[in-house]
Amino acid sequence: MKVALFSPMQPERSGIADYSELLLPALRSRCEIVVVKRGSKKPPRGTDLCVYHIGNNPDAHGWIVEALRRTPGVVVLHDFVLHHLVAGLTIGRRDGHGYLDAMEREGGVVGRLLGHAVLDKRIPPIWENRPEDFHLAGEVLGLATGLIVHSHYVRDRSRAAGYAGPIWVVPHPAFPVPTLSAAVVTGDPLFGSFGNVNASKRVPQLLEAFARLRQCHETSGLLLVGATSPGFDLDRRLQRLGLDSAGLVREGYVDERRLWELMIAADVHVSLRSPTMGETSGTAIRALSLGKPLIVSDVGWFSELPGDVALKVPVDEHEVDTLAAALELLATRPDVRTAMGAAARDLARHDHGLDRVADLYASAFEQAAGGGVVRDAVLLEVSEAAAAVGIAPGSAEAREIASRLSEVDPGA
Amino acid sequence: MRIAVVRPQVPFARGGAEIFSDALVDELRMRGHEADSVTVPFKWYPGARVLTQAFLWRLLDLTEADGKPIDMVVATKFPSYLVRHPEKRVWLVHQFRQAYELDRTALGQFGESPEDRAVRRRVQELDRVGLGEASRLFATSQNVAGRLERSTGLVAEVLPHPAQELDYRNEGHGDFILSVNRLDRAKRIDLLIEAAAVESSLEVVVVGEGPDRDRLEALARGLGVAGRVRFTGRVGAEEVARLYATCFASFYAPVDEDFGLGPYESFLSGKPVITATDAGGPLEIVRDGSTGRVVPPEAAAVADAAVWLREHPDEATAYGSAGHAIAAEVTWDRAIGRLLS
Repeated sequence: MKVALFSPMQPERSGIADYSELLLPALRSRCEIVVVKRGSKKPPRGTDLCVYHIGNNPDAHGWIVEALRRTPGVVVLHDFVLHHLVAGLTIGRRDGHGYLDAMEREGGVVGRLLGHAVLDKRIPPIWENRPEDFHLAGEVLGLATGLIVHSHYVRDRSRAAGYAGPIWVVPHPAFPVPTLSAAVVTGDPLFGSFGNVNASKRVPQLLEAFARLRQCHETSGLLLVGATSPGFDLDRRLQRLGLDSAGLVREGYVDERRLWELMIAADVHVSLRSPTMGETSGTAIRALSLGKPLIVSDVGWFSELPGDVALKVPVDEHEVDTLAAALELLATRPDVRTAMGAAARDLARHDHGLDRVADLYASAFEQAAGGGVVRDAVLLEVSEAAAAVGIAPGSAEAREIASRLSEVDPGA
Repeated sequence: MRIAVVRPQVPFARGGAEIFSDALVDELRMRGHEADSVTVPFKWYPGARVLTQAFLWRLLDLTEADGKPIDMVVATKFPSYLVRHPEKRVWLVHQFRQAYELDRTALGQFGESPEDRAVRRRVQELDRVGLGEASRLFATSQNVAGRLERSTGLVAEVLPHPAQELDYRNEGHGDFILSVNRLDRAKRIDLLIEAAAVESSLEVVVVGEGPDRDRLEALARGLGVAGRVRFTGRVGAEEVARLYATCFASFYAPVDEDFGLGPYESFLSGKPVITATDAGGPLEIVRDGSTGRVVPPEAAAVADAAVWLREHPDEATAYGSAGHAIAAEVTWDRAIGRLLS
């Protein structure tokens, strides 16, 4: 079976490129995979199945959406909310009408009017303020013959959006942990937050909660790693909270090696998010691989993490209080940290093991490529047998057969 | 209790699973239960036929029969465990192995076409549905339970079943090695025939029928050992018991066997077993230097082990006795007690 894979690949700087590079060897040991050259819109001759990796970055995924438009196939949906992608493919290419159509498809006349307001700069861009209200995944879902998602959250949102095709939930694979030493960073214990520094990573709330912790635990440290997003005034916040002189260690964008060294150094990883686009966090997966206890926001994929590996902080009016309590618990209970870390490592090894993930991918590919033909063959044989004994369509007996079929094949 | 023991029936074929299932019905009846065997013909090819055949089980209504409720169903093999029943117990002999570990081997069924691959995946999905809804799940061996857990995540309790009722006895250390098995390629009886070619003093008796018989007989002729390798075909229960009683050891080395009744029968006759390091289920009771010999799946190694057991009657007797103690622990009383509890 020949599978054409449309995905960003290294050396592109994209989490999905890293993801595909990680998976590719394991997939190739299970089926024939042809990686389609960036920009190509057609699969190679003899392809049985096209697979498209879709994320929110228009530069990395624009050409993939265009290929999907030509040849429908299985979509690996890395983010559910694709507003940023669609905005990039429309407004970013001076196609305002395309954006209006996308907004109307999802939000009707109100959506179109809001789109006009965005184009006229009467309101801030929706992809920055309310992307979760207008996911704009409709076109991609409409073209997908099957979906591979990383969480039940995205599966459920896809179903709620009306997607009726097959969906396979395949966990994000764990990253192999490099043999490196921990970076030398002050803090006992040391909390680490990795990724862009901005409001959607709940950095303001984290800083406030950490400032409270520091009042009782002066040795504790907070490591913030990642580029500061434009418009986010980190320095002023640190100054206001008294964290500018002690307790906080700041590193900007770092290379992969340094990232791992810093991650190893942290005793607890904090991976907060709101709003969520439905994404799975690559840094949280790394934390699991390292056997680090996690503090996460209780949203989307993060909510699905087992309770013994992650403390979950609801995004509500008590967010800072809850977060401070979580920091306090893990600061004072090294035994809890150890137990959570062990559970995290087990989870990474079992649920997120590369072989298991590749098996699930291969299973999805095989069902997607041949499942329709097989289902038709079964239905034909059953319906012929039913007709031969006089069971009419719509009869109680026919309904009974349909019901039994759906028990053993939900897609039938 | 009123209990339906369900299994697929491949017309004109009868093997260990069928013997086991029929014995279970008999043993349930002997313990006062109203038990019956329910079978549906099974043909697993071509193409998607395996799925439509499996679906037949889903349509059956075994909640009652003749106006009286059926209290429990006990399923043993794919696809019979797709039957619906509120008290469905599965005593798993094996899954549809072509969809699992035999895939992409010489013993596999599914090719590389998208349709074949999809049928295989559907079989796996059916297992998750049919086995996942069982109220209790047993496997005849650790090997079967392990495969099940690896392939579906479902955990089964290991519940071995007793060997068929025979007049088991030990009439001494004989001069031949015995194979009692279905003659098909996966049973690897070739190894024993080739061992006879390696060791010119080895006498072999092969009991059983199967699709591989012609090839095996040709192999024996080709190796010039036809005079020392005797094929008996299918024989009656008394003759099987007599052969066990008079051999010096038995040979049982299929590839990754599910469970394997052969070693139990041999042990109940007080005879040690030669098996292979990759034989699967038999390795749970055949232990090298304790109840038999476990050797690499090579003719020379089998020949060495056979000659050693023949030339060491005291050790062979001790191994057989140790095996007997293990096999005697597996009784219908215990098995049925757990199955119905």
